[in-house]
Amino acid sequence: MQAPAPSTPLAAPVYGPLNRNVIVLDAAHGGVDSGSRIGDSTLEKDVTLALAFRLRSLLTARGLTVVMTRESDAAQKPGPPPAGGSALTLDDRAGVANHARAAACLLLHATGAGEGVHLYSSELDPVPAEAAVLPWLTAQAAWVTQSEQLQARLGAAIRRADAPLVSSRASVRPVDSLTCPAVVVELAPESDDRNSITDGDYQQRVAEALAGALIFFVRQVQPPLLLPGDHAAGTAVQP
Amino acid sequence: MIYKHQRIVFWVMVGCIVLMATLLFLERQRGRERILSLATQMPLDAPAASTEPVTLDLANDSDGSIHAEQRQMALPVEMNARVRALLDQLIAEYSLPGSTHPLQQGSAVSEVFLLPLPVVGYTANTSAPARVDGESPASTPVAGASPGTAAVNPGGELAVIDLRSTFVNQHPSGVEVESLTLLSFVGTLHANVPQIEQVRFLVDGQPRETLAGHADLLRTYPSRETATVVTAGGAQ
Repeated sequence: MQAPAPSTPLAAPVYGPLNRNVIVLDAAHGGVDSGSRIGDSTLEKDVTLALAFRLRSLLTARGLTVVMTRESDAAQKPGPPPAGGSALTLDDRAGVANHARAAACLLLHATGAGEGVHLYSSELDPVPAEAAVLPWLTAQAAWVTQSEQLQARLGAAIRRADAPLVSSRASVRPVDSLTCPAVVVELAPESDDRNSITDGDYQQRVAEALAGALIFFVRQVQPPLLLPGDHAAGTAVQP
Repeated sequence: MIYKHQRIVFWVMVGCIVLMATLLFLERQRGRERILSLATQMPLDAPAASTEPVTLDLANDSDGSIHAEQRQMALPVEMNARVRALLDQLIAEYSLPGSTHPLQQGSAVSEVFLLPLPVVGYTANTSAPARVDGESPASTPVAGASPGTAAVNPGGELAVIDLRSTFVNQHPSGVEVESLTLLSFVGTLHANVPQIEQVRFLVDGQPRETLAGHADLLRTYPSRETATVVTAGGAQ
């Protein structure tokens, strides 16, 4: 008769690192890339930066660290020339966000089409665990579940703020390359009047709703499991 | 007085002229017969292309939906031309007055390439002996690293759609409007060309990050049904 095999203790699940007090805000476009034109004199890049500043103020006041991909009109790489000072690409923005290992990443956009706030998460199919090395264009796959949770949390807050809401999935660069819970927040005018998108009260109301949801989310978010043997943090590799 | 050698040269030249004239005549005859034989194979009338039902996934900006609508179209038999005709028809619908997803009129697609899946690449075969010229060892074909590049069904294909920059540069900017255009393309191909399993986009033959600042043009889109509403439309 064969002796029973000695039972091996189950390995405890290992999660990747996550800075719970760090939020990444990517104010889309900037510099020569003005994004879409909203109304006669409003550019998307200006609206996204204004909303990012409002959000940063609210989040830092509540003790969170905010990493912004740009704080002026043009997004530039840090450091000395020739690399420093050149325009930040979309992949660079994803690199900034991934380096922060943030608890949430918001990609801020604006549009003149529709009304209220549009939320989009990645279209990638979720994978259950994060590998040590991730393909750059699908790095978000391990975080899709967390991104959907963040999207639901933000959507509920927007509804409570009485702003129209559209919640969907879309492939928006560079969301699929992010290794954090990531949602694209597209601000649209509050009403038929396209100029209402620059209304300070409207932007503040939306920013407060987003900030409140983020505060709650970062407390309960759980990073994806690391694959067995891959206990180094997930690193997205550009092709 | 005419010397003998001058007479010989004269008659040799006359002989050459006659020989060349004969060759020219024969070649002309042969060319004429070749053209006539080709002409007999040409149909006198254009082939009567019968129309067939196609499904167009038409985007609607007002509610962010995609409607599947039936049309009757005469499509080419050749598959690349068929895909291109479908996409051109989509753009033609979008450029009509009163379109629910207005886009600029004009041809959007420069070329369509259909590649069998899985997409095969090449990797250095380190076990192979180095070549005598000291260059790198032989390479061996491998399937793409991503499991998503494998065909789901036998005969599955990747459609690479080369868009014109004139179309892309004039496309409206915004997450929803750009996504709807791409999903409309993907859904229409899925409905009418079932062997297409994946879709990729180029612009003027080059990879481009986004359509108009938002929608991702670098990723591979799985061919899938994108319509949220199915409507029976009128004949085209």
